[in-house]
Amino acid sequence: MGKSDMPNKSIVERLGGQKVIVLLVVMVLFAFFCIASPNFRQYSTVLSILDYSYYIALMAIGVTFPLITGGVDLSIGTGLICYSLVGGYLVVHKGCPTIVGILVAVAFGVAIGLLNGALVALMNLPPFMATLCTCMITRGLGALIVNRLGISWPTSGTEGSWFRDIFKTTIGDIKVPLGFLWVVLLVALMAFVLNHTPIGRYAIAIGSNKEAVALSGINVRFYHTMAYVISGLFAGLAAVAYSAVFSTVQPGTGAGFELEAIGGAIIGGAGSVEGSLLGVFVICLLKTGLPYVGLQANWQQIITGLVLIGAVLVDILKKKRSGELRAA
Amino acid sequence: MGEVILTMKDIDKTFPGVHALDHVNFEVRKGEVHALMGENGAGKSTLMKVLTGIYAKDSGTITYEGKEVSFHNTREAQDAGIVIVHQELNMVGHLTVAQNIYIGREFRKGIRIDDKKMNEEAAKLFDRLRIHIDPTETMSSLTVGKQQMCEIAKAISRDAKVIIFDEPSAALTEAEIEELFKIIRDLREQQVGIVYISHRMDEIKVITDRVTVMRDGAYVGTLITKDCSKEDIINMMVGRVIYEDPKACSAVPPDAPVVLRVEHLNAGRMVQNVSFELHKGEILGFSGLMGAGRTETARAIFGADPKESGDIYINGKKVEINSPQDAVRNGIGYLSEDRKQFGIVVQKTVAENSTLANLGNFMRGLFINKRKEAQVAQQYVDSLATKTPSVEQLVVNLSGGNQQKVVIAKWLVKDCEILIFDEPTRGIDVGAKNEIYKLMNRLAAEGKSIIMISSEMTEILRMSDRVLVMCEGKKTGELDIQEATQETIMTLATREISI
Amino acid sequence: MEKLKQHPIVKKAGFNRIVLCGVLALMYLLFSLANKNFAGLPRILSALNYAYFLGFLSLGVTFVIATGGIDFSIGPVMFCAALISGFCLTSYGVPMGISLVLSVLVGMLFGVFNGYLVAYCSVPPFIVSMASMNIAKGLASVFTKTQTVSWPQSSAPGGWYRNLIKMGSIPVGLIIFLAFAALCAVILNQTRAGRYILCLGSNQEAVRLSGVNVKKWKMLAYVICGTLVGIAAIFFVAAYTTVQPGYGDQYNNEAIAGCVMGGTSMAGGLASISGTVIGVFVIALLQEGILALGAAKDYQQVITGIIVIAAVYADVAARRRKN
Repeated sequence: MGKSDMPNKSIVERLGGQKVIVLLVVMVLFAFFCIASPNFRQYSTVLSILDYSYYIALMAIGVTFPLITGGVDLSIGTGLICYSLVGGYLVVHKGCPTIVGILVAVAFGVAIGLLNGALVALMNLPPFMATLCTCMITRGLGALIVNRLGISWPTSGTEGSWFRDIFKTTIGDIKVPLGFLWVVLLVALMAFVLNHTPIGRYAIAIGSNKEAVALSGINVRFYHTMAYVISGLFAGLAAVAYSAVFSTVQPGTGAGFELEAIGGAIIGGAGSVEGSLLGVFVICLLKTGLPYVGLQANWQQIITGLVLIGAVLVDILKKKRSGELRAA
Repeated sequence: MGEVILTMKDIDKTFPGVHALDHVNFEVRKGEVHALMGENGAGKSTLMKVLTGIYAKDSGTITYEGKEVSFHNTREAQDAGIVIVHQELNMVGHLTVAQNIYIGREFRKGIRIDDKKMNEEAAKLFDRLRIHIDPTETMSSLTVGKQQMCEIAKAISRDAKVIIFDEPSAALTEAEIEELFKIIRDLREQQVGIVYISHRMDEIKVITDRVTVMRDGAYVGTLITKDCSKEDIINMMVGRVIYEDPKACSAVPPDAPVVLRVEHLNAGRMVQNVSFELHKGEILGFSGLMGAGRTETARAIFGADPKESGDIYINGKKVEINSPQDAVRNGIGYLSEDRKQFGIVVQKTVAENSTLANLGNFMRGLFINKRKEAQVAQQYVDSLATKTPSVEQLVVNLSGGNQQKVVIAKWLVKDCEILIFDEPTRGIDVGAKNEIYKLMNRLAAEGKSIIMISSEMTEILRMSDRVLVMCEGKKTGELDIQEATQETIMTLATREISI
Repeated sequence: MEKLKQHPIVKKAGFNRIVLCGVLALMYLLFSLANKNFAGLPRILSALNYAYFLGFLSLGVTFVIATGGIDFSIGPVMFCAALISGFCLTSYGVPMGISLVLSVLVGMLFGVFNGYLVAYCSVPPFIVSMASMNIAKGLASVFTKTQTVSWPQSSAPGGWYRNLIKMGSIPVGLIIFLAFAALCAVILNQTRAGRYILCLGSNQEAVRLSGVNVKKWKMLAYVICGTLVGIAAIFFVAAYTTVQPGYGDQYNNEAIAGCVMGGTSMAGGLASISGTVIGVFVIALLQEGILALGAAKDYQQVITGIIVIAAVYADVAARRRKN
């Protein structure tokens, strides 16, 4: 028997499900824009797509974990701005070395992640509500710490701007999008964590059947919390990427960033880190590419919204059909 | 059969209002399959829960491998080698088979989980059990039967010395049952002690070595399977004195019109080709063992679950019932076995629950006429003798019996002609039970027609005018109350299935 | 404490709401002590001018939360409604009256969209919210070509709509808001729709098995919410006149906070319109009080966040105790 047990699995599912479709969509979109617009086929366009994608991709990597446990983290968007403001404040106004600012930003992210985890896993608050509250708190907190003034991280050429080269460096005359390398490496790392370590394994299990996990004698609270800590950690890393790419950070912004990250993760199937990254690229490609074909960038939001519903509807219909088949 | 590995002696357990286990004795030997039988509610599951540490016993001793033990949770019991394979599965659907089998005790290679080794070990395990399942398959994509096999494999992988199978065959196909029996025989060879809980008489004859029968929380006796007949076991199971007199004869005149006719109803494997008639003023008892498909039949008639085929006639006219809305419109009311989940809205008041099915009659223009609502609710509180301080009381604060009366009131307010009572007295104390019985008799006398699903034999015999027996999703017989006895019903309910 | 909760008067008024009223009074007292100018009706009323739109959002989302669902597209949908109708007004010369109706219509359409997907297609409310949030933002931006829309000032032609908030010294906005709150309370407590919405929020399956068309009533809750969001858009522009595309998220939090603070349970089935109204007042007062103290507005965000966590936790803990 063995293999013959799965005769009704499509090729797509055997290759990895939704991910493959999303990868195809990314390639088709890219090809479409390249063919449709000569201006799009330029190295600088690719660079700007990548620049824009880093912080969203990093958030999406992190938020994949709460999503897999059946929860969500809405605090990553305003959190990102908060962490970047705090780190930047130390660098710009307190004269700390850049590295300290970066470390503090990331640590702050981890701390908020821990708070989210505690609210959800220990106090049993609905994840949606808990992270909505930390979303408000981080938003207010960020603005308070910098006293409502924008922060400008060191710009290229000035002292302490080395961290910007992490994401984009110039070799000879060519700008190299190094950030992409880091994102890919982090995706590989987190895919490993998700698929091959207890943290990931139990996150999947908690999302699937929390009772059964508890009955297996696993410390559910710890692993549940860890999902949010990872989300917070990556929001912190995203803050660094955001600071490096845009350098100026305004308090009070950031609401809505999480939508692009969560949207990307859901388009990518909300079940794998690679999928989330691909989902983010769909969003970023649309956002950057649409103006080249004469449409406003904001069409991307409408399309994203419809694609989100479409993706979930297809999933629901599929489940309904297989459920009926099983009952029959 | 080898030496005794497990002895439970004088186990006693009382829940508030119920003496669940009355000094029960039970033992398991190495390399035997020991059946544990009894009617629904005889105490089999409770006994096993005491053994595996889910319940604490009040008194008695458990001796395991020569030492007295007392487990505080299933984990401790598992670690000692006593494993239960539950009827309801405890599987993580999104993980693979191997990942499920080793969950919580994964093989590691540094920080990495060694999936390769887990797959290999699982494959070896399946080889040993001669089961053909791919360990890398996702659990949710397996059939229920295969999932059950995985659950068994998981139990065995813990080096269990005693394995308890709680109705393992309920969800299996015949081919799968055969596979299961092969595994059980292998385990017996390997000197594992096996407890086998099942209602299926024929399985008992085929696979088990000894049978212990329980009744009403008490130990009745233990027989050697090959030396006894099916009838011996049935007699032990039902040999209880019935305190309430069974109905002597049907109260329904033979020419009473047919109110509801169901023809060739099919809905999944739990409802196969069920046909019957319900007469005006009749109480039709639906008997059968747990999982016989009675509730599923009722839900399919009521439109709560989709049906595949079959016709329903009300007063001779064919009706289309595809949703509870349709059913209610046609005057059918359904009292679910699970009141809290399907019957009442616990956080709402008695009055609000009473009018839930017929709010349209309580409207004054756009608004709910709360005075009328309260009046009518009060009227039914009085006539059903529901004990509640007022109709404004939240239903959550009422006792089980009174909650049930609120559900009955809901359907009476809707003036349903056909009422389906699914386990109407489950979780209700004796006094309240009698009131519900009286009420049902009164309703039938007033011309309502009632289908009563019950797992309590005494209830069936006391209330029904006619008894319909189901087994394995099929109707296996219809008995007039005069020919219905515990023995005849039990024989139909455990009708042979081919193995 | 438990005894106090069981007292008939307390029960009738609702323990939660009594506590919230106490908080409201205490806050007023503290702010008044800290800042002499704070005491007095005019100041309070002017503070409220900027809170009515929030009130309508809160009222709307109360219906959705009562079904056990959630809608956090309300902020962006409100902006979308204000932008589309405002753009029609300023760029296509649509009369003011029709623009206002258009605003309500846009909100209602989003309600229909959300409600249909949640009730009839079983898409989780969370996903639906995410999607319609994106769509609302995108639609508004595309429609207005990402331009800020300025509704007319009071003196300009068509400026009469600002009287909806305040006409001379008459607090029209307060009257309208309270009237709508009363209407919502009647719908929720006195009509079939409200009864079914509350019951299905508590136990959808039991209501379905009572022969009730649960999908229809569930969808209605989202439509009511959308309509109120459309009205909220009117009160937003009447207070601020300018609307910028791409925003609106921040108001979700405050609106849901007002609702949850007032004792509406996130698990569904329990909702209180009067609680929501008091909750909105608490947020408005907090906003104004922090301003009066000369502190940064951002404290309000942090404090509201913490209050909501406390309110939700109280609800979760109470339910766990019951089980």
